[in-house]
Amino acid sequence: MLDVVGTVARLGLAAVWLTSGVLKAIDPDQTYIAVRAYDVLPPIGVEVVAGILPWFEIALGVLLLVGVGIRTVGVLSVLLLLGFVAGVSQAWARGLLIDCGCFGGGGAVAPGQTAYVQELLRDTGFIVLAAWLVARPRTLLSLDSRLENTGRT
Amino acid sequence: MGGASRNEKKRRQAEANRRLAAAGISVPPKRNRTPLIVVAVVVVVAVVAGVAVLLNRNGSSADVAPTYTATASGAVITAGNGPATIDTYEDFLCPQCERFEQRYGNEITTALNNGQVTVRFHTIAILDPSTTPPGYSTRAANAALCAVPAGIYPAYREKLFAEQPAEGSAGLTNDQLIQFGTELGATGDFAACVNGATNAAAVTAETEASAANPALQTNGQFGTPTVAVGGAKIDLNNTNWLKDAIAAGR
Repeated sequence: MLDVVGTVARLGLAAVWLTSGVLKAIDPDQTYIAVRAYDVLPPIGVEVVAGILPWFEIALGVLLLVGVGIRTVGVLSVLLLLGFVAGVSQAWARGLLIDCGCFGGGGAVAPGQTAYVQELLRDTGFIVLAAWLVARPRTLLSLDSRLENTGRT
Repeated sequence: MGGASRNEKKRRQAEANRRLAAAGISVPPKRNRTPLIVVAVVVVVAVVAGVAVLLNRNGSSADVAPTYTATASGAVITAGNGPATIDTYEDFLCPQCERFEQRYGNEITTALNNGQVTVRFHTIAILDPSTTPPGYSTRAANAALCAVPAGIYPAYREKLFAEQPAEGSAGLTNDQLIQFGTELGATGDFAACVNGATNAAAVTAETEASAANPALQTNGQFGTPTVAVGGAKIDLNNTNWLKDAIAAGR
């Protein structure tokens, strides 16, 4: 039963990373604008983060989908999500008016159009999924379980 | 290490484990590192892919120095005299316009320098409400138009995008806008033109006229950046739009 919960968490988080990564990767200019709107990094840092982040997310999604190194990917997911939470929190605290650009889009928004609470709650939900996989990485239909079985003794 | 000695080592290890097991000592199996290696490889591949796409898109980042001349009429600056006519509509606060400049700036400058295109830069201010206090778009547009008689327009325009303030910020001050002009060698009374908002009315008129032009709208909306080739709005998802325009103008 717990394996089923873990499997749902794993595939759910895989879907999250693949969706957010692909949406960011297909519109690099928008991704740059979204990263820039957090007003944290210098231009070159924005270029690098906006350039690498989509592909990193896709990588995490693919690894979760096939289920290899689940605990490690879970840890990486938690760290990345904590980074997002920090970014959104500082934007909120500083009174910036931005969209998180979590699933594409992003950039400045009109006053009253921010959704920081929803964005943070959503990230918290994703952190719960990732934390489950860190605590209990055993899931069904994963490459990890196959590697275990064929492991040299 | 040869295969024979490796097998020998394995055999001895297995034997040692057997002896330990017989003595009631269990040795935890060696951790399987394969998943960790797979994760590391996939992540590295992803990062390399991201960097490769980034470098590919930015192409030759060496700045092309503009050698074309520019004249202003109202809030429209005409540059070059090539056969293909391109109209661009840009707001100096608009992040997408900054991205457009970053991506196509050198290509456009090269085409202008080579006499392949005529570019009419429409200096638009639709984002005045997006600064606190409002009005940076108009102040920046005014300063860009001041830069034409001051003889520094191409470099000044690039500077405004390179130093673009964030939406929601106060924008650059007039003193900063004047400072850029001084650095670039503005002639005449650039400061008075910036402080006096000499071209503000022309910017407003051009903004209203452009926004009301159905040929420049998509789904009834006008936005920046908008680019028209031969008067027809083009799709900026076509990354070959400039090459196509040059080919068509020939």
